[in-house]
Amino acid sequence: MKLCIALTKGRLEEQCLDYLEQRAFDVTPLIEKGRKLCVETDHFKVFFAKGVDVATYVENGIADLGIVGEDILTEYQPDVFNLIGLPFGICRMALAGIPTEEAPEGKRTIATKYPNIARSFFQEKGESVDLVKLEGSVELAPLLGLADDIVDIVETGTTLRENGLVVKEEFMRFSARCIANRSSLKVKRSLMLPFIEAIDKESEPRHVSSNL
Amino acid sequence: MMQLPSGSQDALGLIVNQRLEIFEKFHRTTTIRGFNTISTPVVEYAETFTNPFIGMKLQSMLKWFDEDGEIEVLRPDWTIAIARALANDHSHCKKWAYQGSVFQRDKPGMEYRQVGIEVVDTDPTLGEFECLFLAKQFLKEIQCEPYYIELGHTGFFEQLTLAMQLTDKVSEQLRQAMHDKNKDQVFKIAKQHSNQQHAEELVELINAFGSTEILDRYATHWSNHSELLGIIDHLKTIVKVLQDIGMNQILIDLGRVKNLPYYSGIMFRGFSQTKGTTLFSGGRYDRLYDQYERKRTAVGLAFDVDELVHHIKARSNQKRICLLASIDTLAEAELLLQEYGDCIIDIQFERDEAKTYDLVLQIVKKNGAIEVIHQ
Repeated sequence: MKLCIALTKGRLEEQCLDYLEQRAFDVTPLIEKGRKLCVETDHFKVFFAKGVDVATYVENGIADLGIVGEDILTEYQPDVFNLIGLPFGICRMALAGIPTEEAPEGKRTIATKYPNIARSFFQEKGESVDLVKLEGSVELAPLLGLADDIVDIVETGTTLRENGLVVKEEFMRFSARCIANRSSLKVKRSLMLPFIEAIDKESEPRHVSSNL
Repeated sequence: MMQLPSGSQDALGLIVNQRLEIFEKFHRTTTIRGFNTISTPVVEYAETFTNPFIGMKLQSMLKWFDEDGEIEVLRPDWTIAIARALANDHSHCKKWAYQGSVFQRDKPGMEYRQVGIEVVDTDPTLGEFECLFLAKQFLKEIQCEPYYIELGHTGFFEQLTLAMQLTDKVSEQLRQAMHDKNKDQVFKIAKQHSNQQHAEELVELINAFGSTEILDRYATHWSNHSELLGIIDHLKTIVKVLQDIGMNQILIDLGRVKNLPYYSGIMFRGFSQTKGTTLFSGGRYDRLYDQYERKRTAVGLAFDVDELVHHIKARSNQKRICLLASIDTLAEAELLLQEYGDCIIDIQFERDEAKTYDLVLQIVKKNGAIEVIHQ
């Protein structure tokens, strides 16, 4: 029985592979995968997917374990074990927009990829807003007049700055996390725990190298 | 309109047959174990499921307003509906069996078929065994693939957080973090609202899952905590009896927490050994009846019929017979059909070459006499 691991491609991919290498895994098969989305080694089956799909694959038991951004888990609330935080993929959730002193007339329109997070943020503030769901390049929305402000993740702030936007309020801090399917963790405990312990930032890096 | 709403689905052939077989065998198993059958309406008031004793989320229900402005829902849960139905029942029946659908809109499929039992007003331990024994007998009856039984108990988390005196809101945050086995969040909340020692104890509880040896390890670990030791002893008793009847594939999760506020003791779940999917789940919920101001013991479990169909052996040993008849021999074919008891029989006028049969019999009438010809 092999452990099936879903990794997030894109923003987290490089940081994730670097981290796994630091924890003494030989990630060569993953780096040399070319355009293949799925790599199988002696002990693992690893595949790459978009963050939200990683959560779906793990929730449905296709993957036993996944590494995914906490922003995805907070937004979509998949029914998985949300085991440990990892020391990469660090970012903040922020309200950002064009710097202005003027308060908008009436309700603000907020563009975001994270409508659930944005909704609960404004609910807690007691402010009514209209949300516009976008799939990417959210920074465009205030520049082109689609929205007054945006709610989005901010890593370095460079994209905001280069587009003339500023952070108005930061309200959540995220990192990558290791998640597990609720049944797999019980049924495949002996297979999964060594991997989980090996990537736990609280534990010492291992000395034995193994192929991922 | 020819389309179905998102989530709804038709089912044809084998899968429907297997569902019916499960319903049939469940009815047979519960009948011989002395259960009475109970049925509740599919339409209920939302309040039955969302009141503070229950705490189900209205968002996940299929709902509408009635003419008086009350919210009605399609039954989202059997146990709660049965508790409502039994609230004013003063019969001596203690064992109830049900079968039918529940509806939840936040999961793919929307309609879920279940069979299950509720055992009320019995000796608590006996009720728990009745549930587990029935699970074994029923899963054997339907020739289910190998499975694990997982045991947990609400008492561990409750006892370990008792001294922390958490507000309802923080308690719920901590429960959710335990449910997610989210170590850093559990530690953070517990340390912030209590102390390092409590935080470390709870983090350790997250990892207290595995084989039955966990019970011995934690019996030693909690040797000075009489309440926790009492729960461990109770689980050991359950394990011992299950092993005595040949149920050896037992998992323990001491860190499991309740999903709904009325759970109040043992929790069990059955996992498929091959796919890891949940086949059944249940537990003790004496507090469920508090809302009706009745002190009752109550324990039960529900099987996921839609999941079980993927884990049972299809009926393959039934002989398939084709009776070829004509309009003149149709009556004789029907009389002959009744002699073949448990076989699957088609009466046809012409042989359907696309179908495979173990036996094809042609019924012909020659000179007024009936003749059966083997083909």
